[in-house]
Amino acid sequence: MENILEVSNLSKKYQDFTLENVTFSLPKGMIMGFIGENGAGKTTTIKAILNVINKYEGEIKIFGLDNKKNAEKINTEIGVVLDEMFFPEILTPQDIDKIMAGIYKNWDTDLYQKYLKDFGLIASNQIKTFSKGMRKKLEIATALSHHPKLLILDEPTSGLDPVARAEIMNIFQNFIQNEDCSILISTHITSELEQIADYVTFINQGKIVFSESCLDIFDNYGLVKCTEEEFKQIKKEDYVRYQKNKYNYELLVANKKSFQKKYSISTIDKITLDKLMVLMIKGDK
Amino acid sequence: MLGFIKKDLLMIKSNFKILGFLIVFYIVMGFMGQMDISFILPFMCVMIMISTFSYDTFNNWDAYAVALPNGRLNNVKAKYLATILLIVVTAFLMLILSVIMAYSQNTVINWENIIFTLLGSVFGTILSLSFMFPIIYKMGIEKARICIFAGVFGIIILAGLLFKYVNLAGVGAMLAKLENYWPMIILAACVLIPYISYRISLKIYLKKEF
Repeated sequence: MENILEVSNLSKKYQDFTLENVTFSLPKGMIMGFIGENGAGKTTTIKAILNVINKYEGEIKIFGLDNKKNAEKINTEIGVVLDEMFFPEILTPQDIDKIMAGIYKNWDTDLYQKYLKDFGLIASNQIKTFSKGMRKKLEIATALSHHPKLLILDEPTSGLDPVARAEIMNIFQNFIQNEDCSILISTHITSELEQIADYVTFINQGKIVFSESCLDIFDNYGLVKCTEEEFKQIKKEDYVRYQKNKYNYELLVANKKSFQKKYSISTIDKITLDKLMVLMIKGDK
Repeated sequence: MLGFIKKDLLMIKSNFKILGFLIVFYIVMGFMGQMDISFILPFMCVMIMISTFSYDTFNNWDAYAVALPNGRLNNVKAKYLATILLIVVTAFLMLILSVIMAYSQNTVINWENIIFTLLGSVFGTILSLSFMFPIIYKMGIEKARICIFAGVFGIIILAGLLFKYVNLAGVGAMLAKLENYWPMIILAACVLIPYISYRISLKIYLKKEF
């Protein structure tokens, strides 16, 4: 399968944080969820992909091209939403339309106006009058309106109500109906990813924990709930992490089929991305 | 790049009420003979453009701009071109106002004087933008304000000391010899100085992380 984005051994050192050998790839036509707790390195990775930060080690290829050497060509085909609001507040969506028409050769004013209408954004109002959710909608409308092939979205649904989130997830799913298009989306709302993502990359403390297809994650990983006596019988190598609760133990297992064969514990729950993240970060080994 | 220029001009347009009031105020003061507006209005253009740097910083525009097609190059280029465009438009406005002022006061239009004043004010403002913009790109708008203030203050003190302790008669005589070439020298400087300043700013901006 052809990759639209390849990140290889990306490393970046700050005084109090290090991004270490981050490696993952996003195949064409797929949605990849990029998850991790606050400060794990998601935004730094996304900024490196976009050349917002440019002093790092490693290699990033987008559309098969080096992202530093071919920034101009690459950036015309990318739609971006950053974690922080970036449009000057004194401008209006109408102004953004005029500005972007002068930046993107394939800017589609009709499509942009359609998104504004669908999102209920008034084109003549200053952005400073918009709520956080409305601002995010404007950013998403802008990211989509030049027919990009790759969307790179850092927390695009933060501040949005569930109805708006569902609406936007629907737009993203429609976007990848075109098999040439892909999405890299970083979010804290992992329940959304379970519905739309094909791949999930999990980063913790600047290191990639795993980058796998959702199919593999939900097929292989499982959540075992057991008593203390049962827990004591389970070998360390048969689980990834565990957490001791008030009344039971929760174990994250990486191969639920072989675990089930080995132990008499009958119920292994389906893992959620939320639970997986919590156990990976907070659980003990 | 047109989009980046539009962005700055649209931001200025959003503050047009305040700016319009200031422009009218200065023009009225100029007509009343209370103020020489030939320097104030073009210099206002530079100050207005500096306010767009504040908006950019406050709204995290730069992080987004560099992810746009040719973002780093165009963002810097647009800042210089938008400022120079504003200065040129203001210079034309000043030219028209000078003529109107001469007619309204029934005085003979001294074209040479008007052109020299305009050229001087354009040169002054271009010089100040060329001095300030690289500092803003290097240090960010907040620190740059202090730096620019200290820099201007330093230049004034240096010039004062120079005039007080150094015999500049020779320099004066040399400058007098160039009298006929001054318009050409100023015009050339109006192109060369901002170009050098732009190259420095671009070099800084290309390396910058947001």
